Amino acid sequence: MTLATSAPATVAAEKPARSGTLVPRLITGLVILLVWEVVVRAYAPAYVAKPSTVIVAIPRVIVDPAFLSAAGSTLLAVAEGLAITMVFGTIIGLAMGRSPSTDRALRHYINGFNAMPMIVVLPLFSLWFGYSGSARLATIIFAAIFSIIVNVADGARSVPREYIEVARSFRGGSIRGLFEIVLPASMPYLLAGLRLAGGRALIGAVVAEFFVSVGGLGMYILYNSRSYHHAEAFVGVIFLAAFGLSFELIINGITRRFMPWYRRDEQSS
Amino acid sequence: MKTGLRYYAPFWLSLFAGIAAWEIAGRSTSAAFMVPFSETLVRLWQLVASGEFMRQLADSTELFLTGFVLALVVGMPLGMLLARVRVLRIGIEPYLMIIYATPMVALIPFILSLMGFGFAPKALVVFLFAVFPVIYNTVEGARSIKPELLEVAKSYRSGEWALWREVLLPYTLPYAMTGVRQAIGRALVGMIAAEFFLSATGLGQLIMSASQNFDTGGVFASILIIGLIGVGLMRLGLMIERHFARWRQ
Repeated sequence: MTLATSAPATVAAEKPARSGTLVPRLITGLVILLVWEVVVRAYAPAYVAKPSTVIVAIPRVIVDPAFLSAAGSTLLAVAEGLAITMVFGTIIGLAMGRSPSTDRALRHYINGFNAMPMIVVLPLFSLWFGYSGSARLATIIFAAIFSIIVNVADGARSVPREYIEVARSFRGGSIRGLFEIVLPASMPYLLAGLRLAGGRALIGAVVAEFFVSVGGLGMYILYNSRSYHHAEAFVGVIFLAAFGLSFELIINGITRRFMPWYRRDEQSS
Repeated sequence: MKTGLRYYAPFWLSLFAGIAAWEIAGRSTSAAFMVPFSETLVRLWQLVASGEFMRQLADSTELFLTGFVLALVVGMPLGMLLARVRVLRIGIEPYLMIIYATPMVALIPFILSLMGFGFAPKALVVFLFAVFPVIYNTVEGARSIKPELLEVAKSYRSGEWALWREVLLPYTLPYAMTGVRQAIGRALVGMIAAEFFLSATGLGQLIMSASQNFDTGGVFASILIIGLIGVGLMRLGLMIERHFARWRQ
């Protein structure tokens, strides 16, 4: 594929994004809602969530203190977990990225834990931390940290040689070089890792709340669906999805604002 | 020199160090907290020898394959349909993206409440975990097709089969295989989640009953096995994806 075909292609691909897409999307959305409403009304028990009941439930749920404290609890835990993950994940990732022997030593453990379904450690964490918020925090950290480590290591490994050589020629110490050269150069990778980590942290929080019965959004959903308040529980799911989406948008915004030259590589897992 | 002892030494050293650390930690703390590597292996052997492991593995495999194959059977044709019919794809795209980004675990309580215990709800969970990566990635592949290619094909009055063979398949198949790789991982998560939160069978039951009986050795053994299976499946998924990436242009 030569450059000549790729440049106009992006222009041609961008153009339909304005007018021609709104109508099909609206229509599809309406069709989906309609089918959902009709099918559930016809075939399912009355407590099952349908668009009519969910829309009615939204204003009620938003002001419900139980919901607000649950949402707050989960979000706080995720924020805390992500903060800890960022610190330790970055340190380990930088170590792996810059030191080939550390990388070779740790790589298989990291990849192994990354491949493991995170739910699997829940029984172990509940044994270790009990049925408490610490178990949830540990799960969040376990879920998120490997994305950060892998991505930061990738970033640290791919710092262009010239940057390092310039630092050395200015007689920068290697610790200083780490902070002032390697870390900023790996920022795009760190952000990509953070994007993944955020999603996994959210899943970890919800799953931990299911298992350990700690108060939070997951418990809210579980409790309401058990007591046949499916509409309220579904509002909880909507909130979860919205939180995930806004996190993604924030990361995209940060990437665009601070690193406008960076084109995101599709390194999704 | 990237071969020989010097290169591989750190890997074996760290493996040995990890096992040693596991062993020491296990011996120096209470049995409820951590179990040494040696005892974990013993427990693992017990599970295998008593046939329980194989039984549970069979149950889990049945669940995994049912949900996963169903996801492929539904997801790939749907993805291809969306690749072919542009207006449909444009309509569904935002909703697909939303669903793909939503953690499917959050839907498990609804499925439990509606369908109760049994095989079908668990297979449904695995299916839901696996199907959306397949569809979403196939649609991504369709989006990567340069519009000129389709226009040229149309201006040459290309037959339907030729359209698929020359344009649609080579572009969407590699992306679809990325979706398959993701689906394998997610199906595994879904399988364990279903076995934890719906009726306990298979490998999930192994861990659950071990933790309920405070059989920490059994918990570690099960986690070890599931971790190895996870790694193996991820390798398989990467192999599949890489094989089809050769088509990627």
